[in-house]
Amino acid sequence: MLRIIFLINGIILLVTCAAFFIYEFYVFRKGTVEKLSTISKIISVNSTAALSFDDADAAKEILLALKTERHIMAACLYDKNGKIFAQYPDSASVSSFPAKTGMQGYVFSRSDIEGFEPIRQDNAMLGTLYIKSDLGTMYQRFRLYAFIVALVIIISFVLAYLLSKILQKSISAPILALANTAKVISEQKNYSVRAVKKSKDEVGSLTEAFNHMLEQIEKQNHDLSEFNQTLEQRIAERTVQLESVNKELEAFSYSISHDLRAPLRGIISFTSILEESYGNRLDNEAKRLTSVIKQNTLRMGNLIDDLLTFSRMSRQDIVKNNIDTAALVKTTIAEIDIPERSIKWEVQSLPGSYGDVNTIRQVWINLISNAVKYSRNIADPVIEIGSFNEKGQDIFFVKDNGVGFDPKYKEKLFRVFQRLHTVNEFEGTGVGLAIVEKIISKHGGKVWADAEKGAGATFYFSLPQNNFA
Amino acid sequence: MLILLLMNSLLSPAQTATREYQLKAAFLLNFTHFVEWPETIFPSNSATLVIGVLGQNPFGNYLEEITAGEKVNGHPVAIHYYKNMEAIKTCHILFINFTETNKLEQAIEHLKNRNILTVSDAADFPRYGGMIRFFTKDNKIKIQVNVEAVRAASLVISSKLLRLAEIFNPKENS
Repeated sequence: MLRIIFLINGIILLVTCAAFFIYEFYVFRKGTVEKLSTISKIISVNSTAALSFDDADAAKEILLALKTERHIMAACLYDKNGKIFAQYPDSASVSSFPAKTGMQGYVFSRSDIEGFEPIRQDNAMLGTLYIKSDLGTMYQRFRLYAFIVALVIIISFVLAYLLSKILQKSISAPILALANTAKVISEQKNYSVRAVKKSKDEVGSLTEAFNHMLEQIEKQNHDLSEFNQTLEQRIAERTVQLESVNKELEAFSYSISHDLRAPLRGIISFTSILEESYGNRLDNEAKRLTSVIKQNTLRMGNLIDDLLTFSRMSRQDIVKNNIDTAALVKTTIAEIDIPERSIKWEVQSLPGSYGDVNTIRQVWINLISNAVKYSRNIADPVIEIGSFNEKGQDIFFVKDNGVGFDPKYKEKLFRVFQRLHTVNEFEGTGVGLAIVEKIISKHGGKVWADAEKGAGATFYFSLPQNNFA
Repeated sequence: MLILLLMNSLLSPAQTATREYQLKAAFLLNFTHFVEWPETIFPSNSATLVIGVLGQNPFGNYLEEITAGEKVNGHPVAIHYYKNMEAIKTCHILFINFTETNKLEQAIEHLKNRNILTVSDAADFPRYGGMIRFFTKDNKIKIQVNVEAVRAASLVISSKLLRLAEIFNPKENS
């Protein structure tokens, strides 16, 4: 900024001085011509008699008067025939004067000004005056001018420099200090720092406003951290609440299993005793009745087990690891397969997956056993197991050509105790798919199904890949 | 020019003037530029200025030649020749060509109070009250001026002319 000011200042000064210089040049030149012209006219008028009366001595004397004007270098009088009549200085050679007279007027050359003045008397030409003056005064004047100009420029630069230093102190410095404070505050994130107000002017007001803003920031920060603390507290409280609820639930499910099971066991065992001990005394109807009782109790036992499993699933944390999916599926099939049914297994190559091996095994077990169960009534059951990749996730599927289901219920399938068939058609408690859904959501994946009534169903689940693999 | 002059000099001497008198004639005319007559002497701006010759005419026709068609400050110039004093009516410059002293004195006396510039070759001209005397020095024609006489006649001679002239000092023996 300073440099720009200096540059502009310098240019303005130079232009101004140049303008004055040029003006002075022209004015001085004009003045020089006028002065010389005046001198010439005086000499001319005075020398009319000398020329008229052919008095060369008198003419010389008249020209001698020019001695008083230091700058007149030479002069001479020509008679009416153009011959030199008298000259000044006397010592000068004739050749230093022009050979013949020229036009009236004055001409500047680099070092002098010379001219001719006609000498007339009553319209008669008596002769001509030639006069030459040096330009010493002019150059002298210009030298003086140049000196003054240089002096003025130097002084004004010095003044400008001093002024700018003073201004800098009172304007720039406080602003820079303020900017610096802001920078320090931002870097250190220390909002308790305040800028120092040094003056009562606009910069001072700025400093005040700045400090006020910092106060606000500090306060807001404080409020935020307080709020944060409150939140943390509330979270802690909720967590404690949740934990206690969880504990209650655990106790509850344990008690269910335990306490519900006991009577159930009783029913089963006593029914068995009845069958064994009094079998020969029971008629067919009675035997049928006991069988029904047994079946129902078994069923209830399964329900309880499944519920317990379901609740356990909800509570348990999963531990993710790399799973050899192909091997897992193979072993599951081996366990579940019923060779008499001659199920055709079409297992594609399955990629490894990332998840909790125990629960994922449960998923495979549930899905594959479902596929087997619901293809019981068809002649050539085919179960296809495969996978594909979509949007960076592995999607596995189990497809059967069994009884299928009405696709309009595909949402309901995964809810607890939802069954689309009666227990007489297909056994089951309706918890299996809910368990699958719970496990897969815990892994961050999704389950869904598609089917056609009477033409089979396909169950899909996605498992997110290991991000750190 | 020189040939003409030579031819002129071969002709009747009465008709032509010598070089010396030609120059003097020119001087006479030139005097008109450097002398001031009293305002009253010219009845109008275009009144004639008269140059007169008293006594024998040494100028021949030369005076006429140089004054032909000439005007001084708007005044046309005429040349008159006088045989005697009484013939002088209007005159502004008078060249007195007398050599005898008493005739000279007489003439000068007669011309007092007449505002006429008197000019002569005569040696003692200024001493007798004559105003301008021609003399030769270093082959050049010079003039001697009796400023008292000039002033007495209410005439003013320009300083430009006076500086060229030798001033007559009555105390010296000129």
